[in-house]
Amino acid sequence: MPPAIELVGISKDFTGHVRAVDDVSLAIEAGHLVCLLGSSGCGKTTLLRIIAGLESPSSGRIMLEGRDITDLPARERNMRMMFQDYALFPHMSVAENIAFGLTIGPARRRLPKADIQARVERYLDMVQLGPQRDRKPHALSGGQRQRVALARALATEPPVVLFDEPLGSLDAGMRRSMQGELRQIHAELGKTFVFVTHDQEEALSMSDRIGVMSGGRLLQYGSPEDVYKRPESRFVAQFLGRSNFLAATVQTAEPGVARLALLNASCIVAGRADLHPGQRVTVMFRANHAVPAGSAPPGALHVEGLATQRRYFGDYAEHTLRLASGEQVFLQTPPDAAIVDGMLRMAVPAARLNVLVD
Amino acid sequence: MLASSRGFPRATFARMSPQMRLKAIWLLPPAAWFVVFLLVPYLITATYSFGHMQSYRYVPGFSLANYARIFTTAPYSGAIAQSAEIGLLTAVFSSILAYPVAMVMAFRVTRAAARSALYLLVILPWWASYLVKAYAWKTILGPHGILNSLLLSLHVVESPITILLYNTASVVLTLTYIFTPFAVLSIYASLERIPASLLEAAEDLGAGGMEIFWRIILPLSVPGLLAGGVITFALGFGDFVAPALLGGADTLMISTIMINLLGVANDRPLASAIGIIIVILAFLLIGVMGWAERRVTVRI
Repeated sequence: MPPAIELVGISKDFTGHVRAVDDVSLAIEAGHLVCLLGSSGCGKTTLLRIIAGLESPSSGRIMLEGRDITDLPARERNMRMMFQDYALFPHMSVAENIAFGLTIGPARRRLPKADIQARVERYLDMVQLGPQRDRKPHALSGGQRQRVALARALATEPPVVLFDEPLGSLDAGMRRSMQGELRQIHAELGKTFVFVTHDQEEALSMSDRIGVMSGGRLLQYGSPEDVYKRPESRFVAQFLGRSNFLAATVQTAEPGVARLALLNASCIVAGRADLHPGQRVTVMFRANHAVPAGSAPPGALHVEGLATQRRYFGDYAEHTLRLASGEQVFLQTPPDAAIVDGMLRMAVPAARLNVLVD
Repeated sequence: MLASSRGFPRATFARMSPQMRLKAIWLLPPAAWFVVFLLVPYLITATYSFGHMQSYRYVPGFSLANYARIFTTAPYSGAIAQSAEIGLLTAVFSSILAYPVAMVMAFRVTRAAARSALYLLVILPWWASYLVKAYAWKTILGPHGILNSLLLSLHVVESPITILLYNTASVVLTLTYIFTPFAVLSIYASLERIPASLLEAAEDLGAGGMEIFWRIILPLSVPGLLAGGVITFALGFGDFVAPALLGGADTLMISTIMINLLGVANDRPLASAIGIIIVILAFLLIGVMGWAERRVTVRI
């Protein structure tokens, strides 16, 4: 089975601007929920609009289920987009909005009236808007509008649905419940969903695959666990979670095991083919992976430094530490972690250390 | 707040909060303007309309004879009908001409500078005097005008044709030419408010250009069409210069009758009655349009 969407070397230059999308290649498996993650201006929305056909790429090809659709206009691509501002038609009721995609094109290609009716009913039910069917969009709450937009995008039952920051304008509570609902709808329909978001938590909790973007480039594409646990670059590590970076030197590199020198100590980590003795690398670890020094497993990296700032978050506290090497790290500790003479001692298990070769 | 009602507003004013007082003070000048220059003249006109003339002198009274005369005398009621017809034709043709221009300005031209230039082109004719523009059409359509010279030189006609001028068509043509910018700006204002994402969403859902126009753009621009229609209708209805310059013997518009009644016949009561009828018609029109707009207007 070919990938639902395949991008081959997609680039986009806007006249007078820098390159918005820079040589992105990507294969999205059918039925996956994929998040394109990045901060604003990273090119993720432009990439989504290129997939939708609302923007044409400067170079590269787009395939939908193995068929080249690069030159097809948006209306002939079999995908639907849910817009960030929902783009509901203000003069149409909820039901008319949902029916719109089913009531256009030549009459002979449309569904029979009764089928359209049934389809609209089905998606009204799915988003629980049956009672609001005759309301106009302005008489709906933000969450309800969002559901109309979702139902409208789904009603034509395209194999691929695109979402541009779909939950961006909802408050935190609504966001969480919509995330759950979207996942459930995705599981029910088994269609390919492509999201654009800047919210790493959303990306991690919802997706089958995450594509991290920056400066128009796709930096890493993989499962949430993969991208979180094994970031391939400093940017990805920094973007997902609170990360620390320490300079290290490779002492020995055997197959399966490598020894690194850092913080006046040495540490054994899993070996990698791209490490060789004397090489300068960066060791990354998450702020929340530190454990109290006393309960650290053997071989852990001990981190000791001057606690310069403490932020309390209820279940834990986050400290800013200045190390003897002059480097600065952020560590999450139990709220009652002992600070002796202004110094805090924590440890990071060796398994939590990530070697980045920049 | 008027001089005629003393104690009550002063007591109200004393009970107001400082902010309310400030608002009341700010509202006073426009309110006074409205009363002195609109309400009072209307009342004076209404009072006149119930009297009559006797031996070239105005005799006050309370009679509806003037109104009865207007509705039963063919030239008067006919002139109101013809004015309405010309106003309506002006509104229809102006809107039809204006819509594509407004579409281009709102959707096709994306560069700000180009859009400003187009905007300027639309309002540029207003820099020329109304009279000059009306005369210009007289020269274009006249027996020795540009159009006839062209037709003669192309040997389409052997002698100048006279059917071009001095009829309802030439009046409507001139009024449409002069008032179309109002319709353009009014339609443009409502098109411009349609978010681009709506058009993209329609396209994304499979709609072609014509479907997007009929099902999204046109319905959402109805308020602008109505507003432009009311303005061009009112301007065409009450116009005096174009019918006087380009109208024929059969073009009898209400403004011409008014001039005659006031200037020649010196029948101010009858002229006042016509004036009041026009004001009532105007309010009816605005009421109907307001109702229609509330029915179709949606918040974007």
